[in-house]
Amino acid sequence: MNLLEELLKTLDKMVNDQFESVEFKNFLAVPLTLERGRFYVIQNALYTSNRRDCWGYVQGGSPLDVKRVIWEHESDELINDPRAGMDHYALTVKQGEVIGLKPEDFERAQVPAMVQACFHAWHHIAMHNHWLSAYTASHMLERRNNGKIVKGGGMSYRVGKKFENELGINLKRMISLDVHVVADTDHSENISEMFERYVKTEEDCDLVLKGAQESMAIDRAYRGAVGYYMAQIN
Amino acid sequence: MSAANGLETMWSELVELCNEQFNSSPFKRLLAMKFTQARAQQYSIQMAYYVQNRRDGWGYVQGSAPFEVKKLIWQHEEDELIGQKAQGKVDHITLAVKEGEVFGLSAEAFERTARLEGGEVCFSAWIRLAQRPWLEAIAGSAILEMRNSGELIRGGSLSLRIAAMLERDLGVPMKKQINNAEHVVMDVEHANLLMQVARKYASNEAERRAILRGARESLMIDRVYRGHLADMLEALA
Repeated sequence: MNLLEELLKTLDKMVNDQFESVEFKNFLAVPLTLERGRFYVIQNALYTSNRRDCWGYVQGGSPLDVKRVIWEHESDELINDPRAGMDHYALTVKQGEVIGLKPEDFERAQVPAMVQACFHAWHHIAMHNHWLSAYTASHMLERRNNGKIVKGGGMSYRVGKKFENELGINLKRMISLDVHVVADTDHSENISEMFERYVKTEEDCDLVLKGAQESMAIDRAYRGAVGYYMAQIN
Repeated sequence: MSAANGLETMWSELVELCNEQFNSSPFKRLLAMKFTQARAQQYSIQMAYYVQNRRDGWGYVQGSAPFEVKKLIWQHEEDELIGQKAQGKVDHITLAVKEGEVFGLSAEAFERTARLEGGEVCFSAWIRLAQRPWLEAIAGSAILEMRNSGELIRGGSLSLRIAAMLERDLGVPMKKQINNAEHVVMDVEHANLLMQVARKYASNEAERRAILRGARESLMIDRVYRGHLADMLEALA
């Protein structure tokens, strides 16, 4: 197996292992109520905003051709995803209507302390690391959402199914989660192509793995935190 | 001072700061040069690096800016990174390389020529500025486009003045300097971005001071950078 194949296999194992972690298990085990669902959807909008921050920083630090790939990627997110006819933040707000949320609920939303710490940590990786580490850190969150790689479905799919099974809201009505089931598969595949161009040495692999490991650790902390806060809501 | 007056005052100050660049010693030295082909070639290559550094800076600014401002920057970067395909316009890096052809440069010459050492230091300084709080950061990037706006700069923007020098010294007409010609037009449009943002996000004195701080710092780096370019040109025959 060549260097790149081995690296991609390791990344695939890492995103699958996330779902075996205590933090992911606890998060996915919290029974959904309507209030908890609302909390989750609002937090997911804040998470999406944090992703936009980080991809911007990664774009700043990357080589020119990688910048172009990220710019295209951000088109769906910031401007308009043709799958949805709107940007991904607007999509999340629109999704909120299904569970009784108004745009003002998103505007007023507070970032809880443990979540804030995770957001800062992701910012730090995106802004202050070698671009390959920064790029991988952001990419891994989409790879972890890629149902072609994650056995049993990515995070958006699993959370969407929880809304369906526990609150009786069909996944198709949870439009943001539904779009991300597909969008993050496409995004993670497009972004993954860059590894083929830029990963040539053991040192490059180490930089990719550093970003992957750190981002996955934050992701576990983030899911643990969101699960914790959800469990506090009766 | 009312917010509206405060904004107008800030804008006037920014415009004056941009105009003063042209009275600084490094700008005067650069603009007093006579271009030879060798000088034009090196200048052209280093400007391609400058354009790339702008892409770094705007990326970081996009990262820290509020959502609505991110969208504006994303659109701004379309011209620069991707080009307006519907209008048959290429991205600005490709444009810089294509412009190099009229000075006898190949695409490989851009790849094999290193960045100017002093330029590298200035690029790092601009990146550092782009990573500061977002109002300072956006001002740091946007002010360079204001300094290149023919609407704001008395006597012509930097791109226009350099283009005129290249035409005078090497007989290359402006329309053949496709990168300079594009920036003469685009930076007039792009220069308005900062005011557009300031109207919504600079409602108090502290926010307006942050914008002025970022702008001043960027213009200082700009002067140092132009000084290094002048040194480089002087050293060439």
